[in-house]
Amino acid sequence: MIEAKQLSKSYGGQIALQALDMNIKEGEIFALLGQNGAGKTTTINCFLGFVEPTSGEALIHGVSVSNNPLESKQYLAYIPETVMLYPNLSGIENLAFFSSLAGQNYSEEKLKGFLSKSGLQESAQKQRVGGYSKGMRQKVGIAIALAKKAKALFLDEPTSGLDPKASNEFSEILKELSGEGTAILMATHDIFRAKEVAHRIGIMKEGQLVSELNAVDISANELEMLYLKTI
Amino acid sequence: MNRLKKINLLAKQAWVNTIHRRGTKGLILLVNLLLFFSLTVGYLNLSQHQNLVHGFGGEVRDKWENSPDKHPHRMAHYGYLVFREKFPLAFFDFGMDSYLGNVIFLEAHKQNTVNFSEANLSNGLLRFGEISAGMILQVLIPLLVFFWGFDLISRDREQGTLKILFAQGVQGPELIWGRALGLYLLNLSTVVLPFILGFILLFLHGEQDLLGQSVAHYLIMVLGYLVYFLVLCLVAVWVSGVSKSSKAALTTLIGCWLLFTLLIPKVSQVIGQTWYPTPSKIEFDSSVEQELILHGDSHNPNDPHYAALKDSLLRVHGVDSVQQLPFNYSGFVMREGERLSTETYLSHQRALVELFKQQQKIIRNAAWIDPFLAIKNLSMGMSGTDYDMYLHFQDQAEAYRYLLAQTMNELQIDLIGNRIKNSSDPSAQLSKEYWEKFPDFHQAFLPTAAVIKNQFYSILILALWLTLFSCLVWAFSNRIKAF
Repeated sequence: MIEAKQLSKSYGGQIALQALDMNIKEGEIFALLGQNGAGKTTTINCFLGFVEPTSGEALIHGVSVSNNPLESKQYLAYIPETVMLYPNLSGIENLAFFSSLAGQNYSEEKLKGFLSKSGLQESAQKQRVGGYSKGMRQKVGIAIALAKKAKALFLDEPTSGLDPKASNEFSEILKELSGEGTAILMATHDIFRAKEVAHRIGIMKEGQLVSELNAVDISANELEMLYLKTI
Repeated sequence: MNRLKKINLLAKQAWVNTIHRRGTKGLILLVNLLLFFSLTVGYLNLSQHQNLVHGFGGEVRDKWENSPDKHPHRMAHYGYLVFREKFPLAFFDFGMDSYLGNVIFLEAHKQNTVNFSEANLSNGLLRFGEISAGMILQVLIPLLVFFWGFDLISRDREQGTLKILFAQGVQGPELIWGRALGLYLLNLSTVVLPFILGFILLFLHGEQDLLGQSVAHYLIMVLGYLVYFLVLCLVAVWVSGVSKSSKAALTTLIGCWLLFTLLIPKVSQVIGQTWYPTPSKIEFDSSVEQELILHGDSHNPNDPHYAALKDSLLRVHGVDSVQQLPFNYSGFVMREGERLSTETYLSHQRALVELFKQQQKIIRNAAWIDPFLAIKNLSMGMSGTDYDMYLHFQDQAEAYRYLLAQTMNELQIDLIGNRIKNSSDPSAQLSKEYWEKFPDFHQAFLPTAAVIKNQFYSILILALWLTLFSCLVWAFSNRIKAF
């Protein structure tokens, strides 16, 4: 579903991403670990088409991002690190706006349903997003992905700045999404959350995916040791 | 997913998001009120002006027609007062009107200046500029558009929503046009009602003979403003898209505003005055005077300059003194003198007007890089408050003055005896019927075709700016950075 073939990106002489190979299947959650500047965000940006790779290819649902940018976007959803949304619009208005841009036309009931499924309590749905916490805004982001019926979901540091409860809720929603067949790529610094929610974990260093392992094969403590040793 | 539908959604969202921002509704209301106020005040001033002009004009005519029997040259010196009328659209854009004279005294031998401008008669406050609807639309609205538009893309980038927008399948051109149209919608909310009010005021105007022309002018002008506003919206959104931050975008746009509305106009004006310096009033008058002295004094029938004329007349008529001529000789000399002095004056006047036109050409050329100047000229031209309309009046007044002086000279030549020593002699007096026969002054305005010809460049420049920015937006928008 999310596939990278020898994906590389360099800025001038500076290598940001080097020959990345990756394949995330339906319903799989892949967590990317690594220091700032290791290439996690560049990887996501390549899949989103915000960064043109120097060589190699990024594919979503088999569609090349560089060759068919518009088509590839039909299958994906993205939640940036800071989901600010439009503060003067309510949660439901934000969702309606973004999903109609993607071509969907939902009734208010449906939209409410998506928000509720994402864990946003009913009472908050009609309030302006300006008063939301980061966790609440992220739930709207999830609802956007739900409404789009995205096959591939990209998350950049989704749990940074969330309190433990919100972080936990978020993990539950991700698991639910993966259960429904969504492939998820998340870049994170949260080793314990990665271990808990992801099926596979990759550690990046200087633009390369230096190790890749199954989450079940390792404990959180071992993962931390490995991470510290790798970087 | 339809492109237009996306543009529509983005426009609507920009509108809703801004309208929900605190203060936006108040601002829209305020600008509407300000425009309503200035249109109404402008209209009342115009009506009052026209009433005054017609009132005084009638009085002047009455006094002229009821002048007692007298020598025609005394009537030529009694003269005529002519008042400048304003075009029915003058309430919309005051243009140069307030700084141009309104009354001119017409008499034989002498071209007086048009006096009593509003600036002349009011205190220093006018120097700070008056508020006409035209000024608000040209100067204030751009500031408002820039204020509403500076963050329409940069804020999305800062808040991460730009990435979501792109991830949802929005493309660059859709983003820019959508946001620009949303901004345009906000912009229109401040001007549409005032435009309608302006249109209605045209129909309320007391003199309906120019209704067709003023409606045509109004529509062209409004179209010009609509193009100007669209250009502003595209500029604002474009700058927001290329700037690194919202703050940088705002700074750039305020800089553009200062450049467009203050710097370029002022600099082009100074350049015009430096490259084509105009003589002062005294210099102008004395150079006309110096040339006139060479032509002799027509008031003095014995002036040596007219000796040749006299000799040839005597020869042709086979007489040996001017008293024996079959017509009034001093009238003949004055007719000749009037012709010469008017020719001299007009040649100087034409040279002066040519200088003014050169100065204005510099400003007109500056409009290529400044759409503000283009709309300013167009608005003034269409409202009939520009220099061209004023010149048209001045030419008519001078033509009327010449007609008056020469008609009186003709009456003297044909009807006054040749042996009259003194103009107060009862036999040298004509009946007042002759005064009534002399037609009243009727001011005509430049026809629409001439105004459009004058404003051709303003229209062309606005159209080019719109085309240029549309292309620029198209070419650039594929390279908008998501972060």
